[in-house]
Amino acid sequence: MVILIIMAIGIFIGYKYFNEKYSGLNGKIQILCTALLIFSMGVSLGSRPEFFSELATLGFESVIFSLIPIICSIFPVYFLTKKFLDKKKEAKK
Amino acid sequence: MIIIALISLVAGVLCGQFIFDTNTINIFSNVSDYALYILMFAVGISVGTNKQVFRKLKEYHIKIVIIPFGIIVGSIVGGFICSILLKKPLNESLSIASGLGWYSLSGVLLTNLGGAQLGTLAFLSNIMRELFSFLSIPFVAKHFNKYTAIAPAAATSEDTTLPMIMKYTSADVAVMAVINGVICSAFVPVLINFFFNLF
Repeated sequence: MVILIIMAIGIFIGYKYFNEKYSGLNGKIQILCTALLIFSMGVSLGSRPEFFSELATLGFESVIFSLIPIICSIFPVYFLTKKFLDKKKEAKK
Repeated sequence: MIIIALISLVAGVLCGQFIFDTNTINIFSNVSDYALYILMFAVGISVGTNKQVFRKLKEYHIKIVIIPFGIIVGSIVGGFICSILLKKPLNESLSIASGLGWYSLSGVLLTNLGGAQLGTLAFLSNIMRELFSFLSIPFVAKHFNKYTAIAPAAATSEDTTLPMIMKYTSADVAVMAVINGVICSAFVPVLINFFFNLF
């Protein structure tokens, strides 16, 4: 919840006050924070002695957890956009 | 970005396993909270600065939500199927699928909620979602329609996979990809908390 509030404040500042010449810096901060986050996550994972033995199972499970949601996302988006967005384009033509 | 992410992860794991002592490890778990706050603030600024997003929002009006709606519903159904296939608790499966490809946030949130193992699974699953999105976007854009190319990318369609979407579709679809990414990203923390605590 705190995260969403912070993000909303960011959106407000970005929309109202932010000078676009700093957007490169803003992008770099994002990359730095993401790298730091992932590094910290790696640290907390690696601090578990049994980590490497778990990786074999988790690797397989994560492939399933990525592919099935991808496939399940494609079909509803395809049918919805075909019904609502493509039609609008045809009418314009 | 994905290369930076993988290097950071591997470096972190190696440091955690072989180099850092317990104190240093605890410091990093605090650091990650603050890094997340700064990241969310910076992402918010990016969204707010992008005025084109607000224009497109007015143009497409309510129809803009059908893409994120389809993605979220599809991903949750996907999480449900994974839960049955892998015999995992339903709340954990739905939370992992609710990451929508945002591996850093879903990894951190689910580490906090359900422990390091669940966090790792969420992280790996969602980083792979991003990876497979890169690979599948050209195929989906060609064999379905160009809007559907946004579907695999989910929450990543506003940043990491955007160049790929732009390359295989059009600028118009790219703007919708940004909007989709913003909407999906806003829902990720909400959905993860909701599903994890639901059952």
